[in-house]
Amino acid sequence: MTSSPSTDSRPYEIRIAGHLDARWVTWFDGLTLTAEDNGTTVVRGVLADQAALHGVLQKLRDAGMPLISIIQLDV
Amino acid sequence: MAGPLIATKLHVPTRRPATVPRPRLTDRLSAHARLILVAAPAGFGKTSILTEWLASLGDDARVAWVSLDERDNDEGLFWSYLVTALDRAVPGVGAAALDLLASNPPSIEGVVATLVNDLDSRGTAIVLVLDDFHVIENAAVHAGTAFLVESLPAHVRLVIASRADPPFPLARLRTRGELVELRGADLRFSPSEASAYLNGVMGLTVQDDDIATLGDRTEGWIAAIQLAALSMQGREDAAAFIAGFAGDDRYVVDYLVEEVLHRQPDAVRRFLLETSILSRLTGDLCDAVTGTSGGGGTLEALDRANLFLVPLDDHREWYRYHHLFAEMLRARLLDEVPERIDELHLRASDWFERHGEMTEAIGHAIDAGAFDRAAEMIAVAMPGMQQQRQELTLVDWFEMLPAETVRAHPGLSLGFAGVLLSSGRTDGVDVLLRDAEAATGGTSDGIRAIRAGVALYRAAQALTRVDLETAAAQAGVAVGLSRDGSDIDRGSSAGLLGLILWARGDLADARESWSVSLDSLYRAGHRSDMLGGSIAMADIQLAQGRLTDAKETYRRALEVAAEADPALRGAADMHVGMSDLLRERGDLEGAHRHLADAEALGEYAGLPQNRHRRRIAAARLLQTAGDPASAISVLDEAERLYTADFFPDVHPIPARRARTQLAAGRKADALEWARRSGLSVDDELSYLREFEHITLARVRLADPADPSSIADANRLLERLLHAAEQGERGGSVLELLVLRSLALHKIGRAEEALDALQRTVALAEPEGYVRLFADEGGPMARLLAALAKRDGETAYLRRLRTAASGVRQPRPAAPRLIDALSDRELDVLRLLASELAGPEIARHLTVSLNTLRTHTKNIYAKLGVTSRREAVGRATELGLLTTK
Repeated sequence: MTSSPSTDSRPYEIRIAGHLDARWVTWFDGLTLTAEDNGTTVVRGVLADQAALHGVLQKLRDAGMPLISIIQLDV
Repeated sequence: MAGPLIATKLHVPTRRPATVPRPRLTDRLSAHARLILVAAPAGFGKTSILTEWLASLGDDARVAWVSLDERDNDEGLFWSYLVTALDRAVPGVGAAALDLLASNPPSIEGVVATLVNDLDSRGTAIVLVLDDFHVIENAAVHAGTAFLVESLPAHVRLVIASRADPPFPLARLRTRGELVELRGADLRFSPSEASAYLNGVMGLTVQDDDIATLGDRTEGWIAAIQLAALSMQGREDAAAFIAGFAGDDRYVVDYLVEEVLHRQPDAVRRFLLETSILSRLTGDLCDAVTGTSGGGGTLEALDRANLFLVPLDDHREWYRYHHLFAEMLRARLLDEVPERIDELHLRASDWFERHGEMTEAIGHAIDAGAFDRAAEMIAVAMPGMQQQRQELTLVDWFEMLPAETVRAHPGLSLGFAGVLLSSGRTDGVDVLLRDAEAATGGTSDGIRAIRAGVALYRAAQALTRVDLETAAAQAGVAVGLSRDGSDIDRGSSAGLLGLILWARGDLADARESWSVSLDSLYRAGHRSDMLGGSIAMADIQLAQGRLTDAKETYRRALEVAAEADPALRGAADMHVGMSDLLRERGDLEGAHRHLADAEALGEYAGLPQNRHRRRIAAARLLQTAGDPASAISVLDEAERLYTADFFPDVHPIPARRARTQLAAGRKADALEWARRSGLSVDDELSYLREFEHITLARVRLADPADPSSIADANRLLERLLHAAEQGERGGSVLELLVLRSLALHKIGRAEEALDALQRTVALAEPEGYVRLFADEGGPMARLLAALAKRDGETAYLRRLRTAASGVRQPRPAAPRLIDALSDRELDVLRLLASELAGPEIARHLTVSLNTLRTHTKNIYAKLGVTSRREAVGRATELGLLTTK
């Protein structure tokens, strides 16, 4: 999901419950995973647009990963 | 049946042996509701609880089950599965709907309406389950399902299982007590349930405090509890396992799947990972994908070991992985052997192709990046899929194929152009058509048909923008290209051109175009469209002053409508049209009869526009009967229910209402309309605003306070008359001549007035106009009398005078009831007097909508009325509504 810059692309921080092994990196296709001390994982990266964002959210839903928060960061 | 359906999607899951009974939940599912919703994330046990509940309903229960996937966003597929599932549960109930689905292209509205009607009249209790509803993103499918929620009869229970709340008005259903919900919180396993599962079903020995720890860590998530149980089997120290698990921060399901996989032999682990790319599995397919043998045996072993395999049929042939488990496996596959994934997909594609399952073969080919292979298969599968309205799938595939691949396969460019167009998209169609032409070395029938389709689409878009010039040009292109094409193409393009010509005031050309269109639509078997077009044809003929031709149009259309059972969409509209024609000719009994017929046919027999058209016809009848006040309320209703279509709005309702207000003596209201309309007697005239300008002239003529008004009105009338004559609008010419004679009389030029009237009468007689004169009331009655005196009374003149005499038309109802209403009919009547809508009344009386319709039809007949409002009015008069 590394995107070429477009007017809609934004950096996002998505927080889910539970830590994820390194093996999940490829599944997240270009986003980074950071395990936090509070037992959550932050998925970070630039997403091309709203459709890409909803695509990630749907993947999380399919994998049963409980969604805690989504933050759009300043460009 | 609309094409090959995958039987496993319709399989009703049977109760699995290794489960904990949860009666507190299944009891809740048995409550009465319009919708049962089970909404929770993956792995919460939605399907299991529904399976348990269905089993509790007993062997006689009729169950229809559809396991949805992304392909079902295609309307054609979605409804095919849904109707087939219902038909399996109650043989025959889906027959008519399936028939409609087989037509090309199917009208989904017709399918759903027919289905609801058949379910209603069949009366057998059915449960319909739509599993994995969250995969549906298509708004049209959502809308259709929402409609089902609202209109299914009480004996059909609709259950939706989803990972997300469907976009229905759930809050409204909740407050009305029409929703039964099981949510994540409900489905979480309590400590006692977890204990029953672990110690009871799985035969482990886990202490209470460990169960509590496990419960905390998993939060009652059954998928996790199951995985934990699998991990603890054969382990000596369950407590240590739980402690380790509890102390770990990893995502619960991932941790546990790792544990379970770790304990599998290598071969099994490899099997699980490699077959995770499949959405459904069978032994032979697994062998092909893994390149090993014994797949069938492996699957059975996994099933026995409770390793997240869900059987898809009763003979242990097909399975799928539990979604959550599959997702975990896929992530591992991606991480461990990414370079093998294409190969796995290719093997799957090959197997599906050899077994004739083209959709899955194509899907796997695309996943494998084998685009040429996919393109070849799509070229073969496309015609069949287009016919079954599976355009969305085709559009998806189109977007995934590289442009060079599409170009390299001749049939594809054309096919995709057609599919895009059917989905309402023109972007990229031109390029595809050029590619198609390059490939075939020139144009072909297929290419011509699609070019015609593009032109038609652009014409329609231009029409909505009221860019009539572009619209006419594009429509002309479409007509030219369709001349040698199919009947439906010819019919559609001629029809659209007809609308555009009509809007431009080219009535004669418009009529000719419509004539071609109606003929072609009839031959193409598109009867409803032919009926819709008949309205346009008749309206144009009326504008031309050709009453006889218009009547013939409706007569023919009614003949066509009568050929179909159940009633065609548009049948009601034909009755409404005929009703108004008969009214104009003074046959008020006939007019009432046709209106009653229209109402009796019900909502679905009318096109969307019929809701306001029927009321307008009813209002005109009321005004003719001398009750303009009631007519005004009905017009208000019509305005509220107005739905626009492509027809030029040449008789806007506010202008109609202003005329009725004049008849009712509400001059101030009419003047207010004139003021608000922004119209002026000095405006440039156009066909589209002719009706409004004539209305303005009437308002000015009726306004005594201002003497210049009469002069202004006369000036406007003369200009309008000239324009109408130029435009060959015979109907308007007649009306204007009538007004002119009235105006001349008003300013004291009596002899000229009579001359004008005499000319008008002569023009109107061949077409049988009556209300044209009669609705003008007293002043016209006197003028007609004077004319009769001057020139002698012909039979026609006598008819006109009788009609215009202003006597309140006798209501086609007996003064007393000849047949008394039954108790049941009285019940219905009392509810008709309330604010409740039809379906709500039916529910209140616990009868089907069909039964209610029969009751209301009988009530209307006994009361001699044609509408609900009239029925209530009459009932009040007769004292039938006084409480017992």
